[in-house]
Formats: sequence, structure tokens, C-alpha cells
Amino acid sequence: MDALAPLLPEVDFAYDEVTDLHELIQKLRPHGPVVRVKYLGAPVWAIIDHAELNQAFNDLEHFDPGDGYRIISAPSMGNTLQTMQGEEHRVSRASVAAPFLPASVRGYVERMIEPIAHELMDRIAGQREVEFVQAFTRPYPFTVITRLLGIPVSDEAMLLEWAVKLIDFPWDPEGALKSKAAFDAYMQGIIDDRRRNPTDDFVSMLVKAEFEGQRLDDERILSLFRLLFPAGSDTTYKNAGSLFACVLSDPEIRAQAMRGGEERAAIATEGLRWQAPTAMLPRMATGDIKLGNAHIKKGDWVLFGITAANRDPKVFPDPDRFDPSRDNRELISFGRGVHFCLGMHLARRELETALRVVFERYPDIRLKPDARIEFVGGVLRGPRALWVQPYGKA
Amino acid sequence: MSHNNKSSEMRVTFINPKGGTQTVMGEVGESIMRCATYHRIPGIIGECGGAMACATCHAYIDEKWAHRLLGKSTQENEMLSGCIDTRWNSRLTCQVRLNEELDGLVIEVPKSQT
Repeated sequence: MDALAPLLPEVDFAYDEVTDLHELIQKLRPHGPVVRVKYLGAPVWAIIDHAELNQAFNDLEHFDPGDGYRIISAPSMGNTLQTMQGEEHRVSRASVAAPFLPASVRGYVERMIEPIAHELMDRIAGQREVEFVQAFTRPYPFTVITRLLGIPVSDEAMLLEWAVKLIDFPWDPEGALKSKAAFDAYMQGIIDDRRRNPTDDFVSMLVKAEFEGQRLDDERILSLFRLLFPAGSDTTYKNAGSLFACVLSDPEIRAQAMRGGEERAAIATEGLRWQAPTAMLPRMATGDIKLGNAHIKKGDWVLFGITAANRDPKVFPDPDRFDPSRDNRELISFGRGVHFCLGMHLARRELETALRVVFERYPDIRLKPDARIEFVGGVLRGPRALWVQPYGKA
Repeated sequence: MSHNNKSSEMRVTFINPKGGTQTVMGEVGESIMRCATYHRIPGIIGECGGAMACATCHAYIDEKWAHRLLGKSTQENEMLSGCIDTRWNSRLTCQVRLNEELDGLVIEVPKSQT
């Protein structure tokens, strides 16, 4: 058999819904920590074991994310933290970090995250049955970002349209570039305003930010804003959906979620492990390397199997079980190394706040008894839909 | 990491704000964060693996020891400025390496992380 031919050739991890992704990963696991699979119609590598993935995340010589992202996203997203390398990345990241660090994020919970959760809960008042992804988990992190950016409610729908198109470059280059122009022109107005009248909000923090004598120019700020939606909204909404699917399925977990902050933090972390929203992250190898059993060549596409590593039985015993009490120190959902997810603290506070507010407002909320929950997606993964009954029995 | 070479081991004590202390053997050359995560000290996570990118390994170095450490980089200072309840002796523990002179080192874990 050709060692470079894909295992499971009938499955395309980009195009297929892979509702059975974790079963597929179990079939791949005996073949080694790095395997061949099909992605976008062609064979690629997939790193599925925790130790090798951890090594790859920390190895910028062979797995610098810049090369891959320059092809997939740079034309419409610009030079973002994902494409920057070395010193440019270090300085830029340090310059934009402050509003994402624990002290700032703690402030957003009361001022912004909690009120948004309540607003969305208000909208489902009186309804016996609700599709929770559309009603809550999707708009929730998106609205957190638009409010952080100071965008008025009346413009949110327009922003959503541009944000969705921005990352569509591989499929619709013209549409993506048009959206970029519109998005930039709109956001430039907000940046100009904060340069003239700085406040203590998120945009003002970036406008005023200084690190090692350098300040952020408009393009640096715009490139961060473009990245916020795919990096911070799509991921969190998928994960919030998976989290509620688990919590509402299990009376014991649900009781824990209603108990206190520590319990909710542990449940959110286990949700991030059990169904990582960024399931398989595509990267392009930047050098030749033997990793595990695989001889990876520069220019090869490699899927970083985050969700597979999070269920590696060598690190997480009985990995398919949703168990908030387990030791989750080795969680790899936010990556590792210098490109570690900048929005980690924000994402965690959003998930914990969601658990608190939803059960405060609808203590009897439950899954619609006959509705089937299917998790879909090999790259970004979450439930297709989540039908709930906010008041319990409809 | 071996954690079995006795000649290069040293004592490190972690104080948990909820009560209790834990004294463990650290290895010369490793960071305080690695020592803490190896021994599963509550509240020191080091989720990014030591790249100064996550701010989950903040801790207070006991005053007796804090002034013996090398200074902080601008990047560490920047990250610390965004942590909760920082003090003059706050450090990102991924940035402090253990050496023989620090035998007996005492570290306090911040309340916000436990």
C-alpha cells in the first residue's frame, strides 16, 4: 500500500460533515501519531496524538503558521497575528495584548458579557421551543465583539455580513475583497474617532497602546479587528453549542453548573476538551521533519488534530466521557506557544457567564426530548442545531 | 523531564491562598511554572507552555527571594500589567528558572487563579 495514500479515503475532512469524527479518529489512532487523511480532495497529514501535536505547536521552524495563512487568508484578512513571524509578531502581539488579559476581561463580564446574555435571554421569553444556536450561542460571542468595537446595534447585521465574507477568500475572492474594503472603511471611522476622543474602551486601549516605543498604526489595528470575528466569534459559538448540548443532556452536570463559579469553570474547560471548536487546524509545513512515524516535507499541508489530541487516551483516560472533574491541565484547544489563542480568557468568561445566566433565567430549560443532536464539521465543529424548551415541558 | 537526578534537585514551597502549603523537589534549570505543573500545584497552569502568551502562571515570589531574581523583560512586564491583583513581587513563573541559590524558594499562588 502507498504510504502516502490517505487512510479512510472515502472521508474528506474539509468537505464532509463528519458527524462521526471521533469514531473516525479512533480508527486512525492505531496507524500512529501522524496519519494521512483526505482534505479538500487531496491527501494531507493529520497529527492526532497529544505529544506530537504539542511538539508541532511549539516548533516554529517546521510549523510556522504564517506560510499557510498567507495563502488561505492574507489577501482578505491582511497581515494578521496569524501570518506575522518572529520579532514583528512578538511586538505586535504584545502591543494588542492588554485588552485580552485577565484584568481587562474581568471588567467586560459585568459591563458587557452578562448584559448581552440577558438581552438574548429576554428575546426568547415566552417561547415554548427555541433553536438555541440561532437564538443564543451564535449571536452571543458575535455581539460581544461588536460591543467591544463600539458598533451600534443598528449596524450589527451589516457587520455580520462583512465578517462572514472576509474569510471566504478561497471560495469567493472578489466578494471577500469587497467586504474587506467596506469593513475597513467602516472601522476606520471608529478608529479615527477614538484617536480624537479616547475613552477607556477596547478600541481606545489599542489606539493608545505602546510597546517598546512602538505604537499601532491603523492597518495593524484593522488587521486585528478583521481577525476578531473568525477567531473569536465562530469558535466560541460552536463551543457554546457543544457545551449546552452536554450540560443539558446530563442532570448531574446540569446540577453542577447551577452550583457555583468553580463548577462552571470546570464544566466549560471540559466542554473545550470534549468537543474542541477548532477540531482540525490546517497548517503548511515550513521545513522537512520526521514527526512520529511521518516524514513531513516543507510545503505539505498538515492538519493539527486538536480535537484528536484532546481525546488522546495516553493523556486523558476514558477520553470520550464528559467529566468536569478530570485533570484538564493538558487541554490543547487554545494551541501552544507564541501563537497561543489571544482570546482565551475572553472565551472562557463568555462560556462561564453563559452557563450562569441561562440557568438563572430559565432554571427548567431542557433539550427538546425527541430532537437529535448532531455535531458537524471537521475544521470548525459544533452542533448543527440545538432545540430547547426554555420552560421545561412544552 | 526526569525529576530523578537527586544532585540537581532543590526544595520549592507553594502556598495556596485557600490554605495549605506544598513543598516539592524542583530541578535546577527548569522554570518555576514547569516545576509547579509537574507537581500539579493548583492555580499555576502555564497553558501556553511557557511562551508568555497566556498569563496563567502568575504568582508572587516570597519577599525574601524576590530581589534575588533577574529582572523582568518588557514583555513579561506587559503581560503582568494585565494580570489580576499584581504586587511588586509578581512574576510569570514560566520566566523564572530555578538555580542552586534558590533552594528553599517560597511561591504564593494568587487567589484569582485558584
